[in-house]
Amino acid sequence: MTTTSLHQWLSRRAPLARRLVPIALLSLAAAFATAPARAADEIVIGASIPLSGPLAGFGSFQKWGYSRAVDEVNKAGGIAIDGKKMPVRLVLRDDKTDPNATAANTESLLSRDKAVALLGSCTPALVNAGALVAERKKIPLVTACNPLEAFKSVRKWTYVWDLFFHEPELAAIPFKALRDLKLETNKKVAIFHDNGPDGQVVGGTLWPNMAKDAGYDVVQNASFPIDNTQFTSIVAEAKAKGADIVLIDAITPQAVSIRKQIASAGYTPKLLVIEKGAEPVQFAEALGKLADGVVVGGYWDPSFPYPGAKELATAFESETKLTSSQHIADSYAAAQILLDAIVAAGSLDPEKINTAISRTDKTYVVGPIKFDENHTAKLPLVMLQWQSGKTPIVWPADRANGKILFPVP
Amino acid sequence: MPALDVILNALISGVLLGGMLALTALGLSIILGVMRLVNLAHGEFLVAGAYAGLFLLQWTGIDPLAGLALIGLVLALIGYPIHRFLLVPLAGKGPEASMMTMFGLSIILQNLFILLFSADTRAIDRSYATVPLELGPISVPQIFVIGFVISVVLIVAVHLLIARSRFGRDLRASADQPQAAAMIGINVSRVHAFTFCLGAACAGIGGTLIGVALSFTPTSGASYLLTDFAVIVLGGLGNVLGTLVGGIVLGVLQSIGGLTLGDGYRDLVGLVLFLAMLSVRPQGFLGHRA
Amino acid sequence: MTVLTSQSTPQRTISIRSPAIRIVIACIAFAALLAAPIVLPTYFVEIGFKLLIYIVLAEAWNLLAGYGGLVSLGTSSFFGLGAYVTVGLINQAGAGPLQALAASALAGTAVAIVMSRGLFRLRGLYFTVGTLALAEALRLFVINVPWFGGATGLFVTVDLPEIAALFRYATLLLALAALVMALATGSRFSVLLRAVRDDEDAASQVGVRAFRIKLAAFIVASALIASAGGLQAIKLGAIEPYGSFGLQWSVDPLAIVIIGGLGMRFGAMVGAVFFVAIGELLADYPELHVAITGVTLILLIRFAPRGICGLAEAALRRRGAAPQEAHP
Repeated sequence: MTTTSLHQWLSRRAPLARRLVPIALLSLAAAFATAPARAADEIVIGASIPLSGPLAGFGSFQKWGYSRAVDEVNKAGGIAIDGKKMPVRLVLRDDKTDPNATAANTESLLSRDKAVALLGSCTPALVNAGALVAERKKIPLVTACNPLEAFKSVRKWTYVWDLFFHEPELAAIPFKALRDLKLETNKKVAIFHDNGPDGQVVGGTLWPNMAKDAGYDVVQNASFPIDNTQFTSIVAEAKAKGADIVLIDAITPQAVSIRKQIASAGYTPKLLVIEKGAEPVQFAEALGKLADGVVVGGYWDPSFPYPGAKELATAFESETKLTSSQHIADSYAAAQILLDAIVAAGSLDPEKINTAISRTDKTYVVGPIKFDENHTAKLPLVMLQWQSGKTPIVWPADRANGKILFPVP
Repeated sequence: MPALDVILNALISGVLLGGMLALTALGLSIILGVMRLVNLAHGEFLVAGAYAGLFLLQWTGIDPLAGLALIGLVLALIGYPIHRFLLVPLAGKGPEASMMTMFGLSIILQNLFILLFSADTRAIDRSYATVPLELGPISVPQIFVIGFVISVVLIVAVHLLIARSRFGRDLRASADQPQAAAMIGINVSRVHAFTFCLGAACAGIGGTLIGVALSFTPTSGASYLLTDFAVIVLGGLGNVLGTLVGGIVLGVLQSIGGLTLGDGYRDLVGLVLFLAMLSVRPQGFLGHRA
Repeated sequence: MTVLTSQSTPQRTISIRSPAIRIVIACIAFAALLAAPIVLPTYFVEIGFKLLIYIVLAEAWNLLAGYGGLVSLGTSSFFGLGAYVTVGLINQAGAGPLQALAASALAGTAVAIVMSRGLFRLRGLYFTVGTLALAEALRLFVINVPWFGGATGLFVTVDLPEIAALFRYATLLLALAALVMALATGSRFSVLLRAVRDDEDAASQVGVRAFRIKLAAFIVASALIASAGGLQAIKLGAIEPYGSFGLQWSVDPLAIVIIGGLGMRFGAMVGAVFFVAIGELLADYPELHVAITGVTLILLIRFAPRGICGLAEAALRRRGAAPQEAHP
């Protein structure tokens, strides 16, 4: 066929046949262009994490935590597989905070990069999307950053393991602290929560029930979409009902907006709990003095009496010049658990690695880890309070390194 | 049924909030009205304005509300090369080309923000932004009042610029009939350049206000973009005063929606109204074009 | 009315033009695609699935915008709708994948009919903005109304089909899309659709029932998009509103068609291949990936307004023109 007739052929009206030839040719070209390459003597571990999009903040901590654990193993000479030492290669993919991308990334980490095991993304929607792929392909995945009830509600897991906090424990903190610290309030509780997976569990179910059991009166329970920006109506209602205790479950941008709107409504509750959103340093940086007195649950602090806790935070801060976060600890621990399991298995067989993970029983930087029959491991919780840009532990007494500021200034 | 003062409060905050929504939509409205460009990077312009306000305060100590003109100027200066190098070459290539270019720009800007400023949530911390203004039983956030006033002043100023000045005459001519305008000697491309810069400046000012009153992240532009579309369609495309009306209508209806159905339904109420409005009266409340 | 005359001038036949041979070739090609999962490594099957979904979405968008002038930013509304209908039926009614996908297409059709009355009053930009609002409204509805699991979404409770099976479903969907596109673009319908695109009022005056023509295109596109959404949901096994109604599902098809070539016959396909390939190539540079996609988009729009297909055509024409000049 001459070029002219090829051109005619190409530029003619378009029925079925010709639609397919380019598909075949081009997908073949694309396929070869992107063909995977893997050295035979390395251990590939994959992780799809949010490096862009709204959750990019979490992703940057995870990237550091995962990389550190892998680097340490490599510095020590790698892992012996069938008697031969091999280096570990960590392949990271950006899921752009989109679960569709997490699933696709996880697939290609396995089929293209030939990862033998996986680490998780962050937040239930993303972690679950990747975990379902791992489960289907029978490849072990260790994750943190996925509250345990949200994790368990998806299905009975065989290849996926989650270490994080347990929502009922998190939800119980304010009531336990009120009791233990003998804080006086009018016992009226207002709850604002987003309708994300953990928001629904904590704010929609657990808090109301626990409040009732502990003898508190829930005067308001308001739910809103994760990315809501206006809270004037719910704040006005809580103020009108005179609740002394406000329990909030929201992500950081919303947490900042709510805190400002509570202040600008002239509303001064005595105890202000903001789960999830009040945890990162950016919350306090964005709010300045207004952050003072806000209480949030925490599952890790450099002061915890676990091996390497203090060093981890110091290493992070000296390497990145950023303030450390509890997310470096759980991602670091998740990666260590997986690497330890590969060492124990001494093999790249997914089944053997998976079995080794199930036998995990060791104290990591986040505390002792032993998975239960639901494949979950609970991280112990404390109550933190923002005080002049720092978060001292104010409850329980045996962990506390600060005194609670009450009522909220 | 909520108490009367709660309802009254909600309505008044709705009006005030609506004024602020109008301000965030103004830049989009000007650009859409005159240039027929769906500026999908408008949300990022807002966020850029918020960052500009934040850094102005951090570096120079100038209060962002006092430095609004400066922020507007900065955004206009950023807007000019965008128009000159990205949009001018696309003249006459249909609306999708410019729209997708702006979309490309929006994802680049989002990533640039993350790269430069991290993905952290930010807010501009001013003490006047977090105190109530109380008048008897009515208590509204003071920043909403400040924002409303800025919004009205700016919108009226832009309206006067378009309705009364010689430039405004050229601008209206370029919007209605670009070819005819060019024929009678109007430099349409210069008018467009100025319009784009003006739109960017207004977006920057709106963004600063968001930063002071609420919070923002590198990616929060998208949700404002959608609300802003609702505002300008309610007000009538390209109608500057209509933007204010559209904002207030949306603000009040959102507040009623928030009050009766919960704050979660705020945006939904706004959008349903928006769709209803589109199908009944696409030209908006103040529009006169059929 | 230039549109009516610009309809393809028939060209001299070579054997491949004959309908029977075309159909045979099409059948062989689809048979090859159906068999592909047996020989291809998993990675390529997965990429292929993604590619097929994108082609379907882009073809549907091209039908609306390229041929009908209906520039939609509402693809995600029908995509998400299909995802939720499919998962809902699989979970609640125990439907099989094919039944659920067919039901999704019906749901897409129904919503398209319901929304058409309002949307079609909108011309040009208003239509674009209206479809954007529709997608956002549907997303907020699904997030807020308690029946759909809020932001948690829904999980498929039964075991999911293997990727090879999904690839075959996607192939069938593409075959359907290709058939529809061939019928829609090669028949009188396409002439009417383009007449409406170029001047709706003038078309109406000469007796074209503009509303019906647009509605037909809108229904077809929406049904295809909803089925694609359902298929993606089956593959994911877990859906939630932010991912299923995400703006990316509205913008990606648009980007694909623009990259490939708006109004170009192979635009959707070439664009999708490019789009997926660049995603895979840049997978090792996660921080850059999104930004580079943006830059590519801007550069292509600027320097290759008719997309890659336009570039290829121009290159072929240049090479074809030279000998013609030498031997006139």
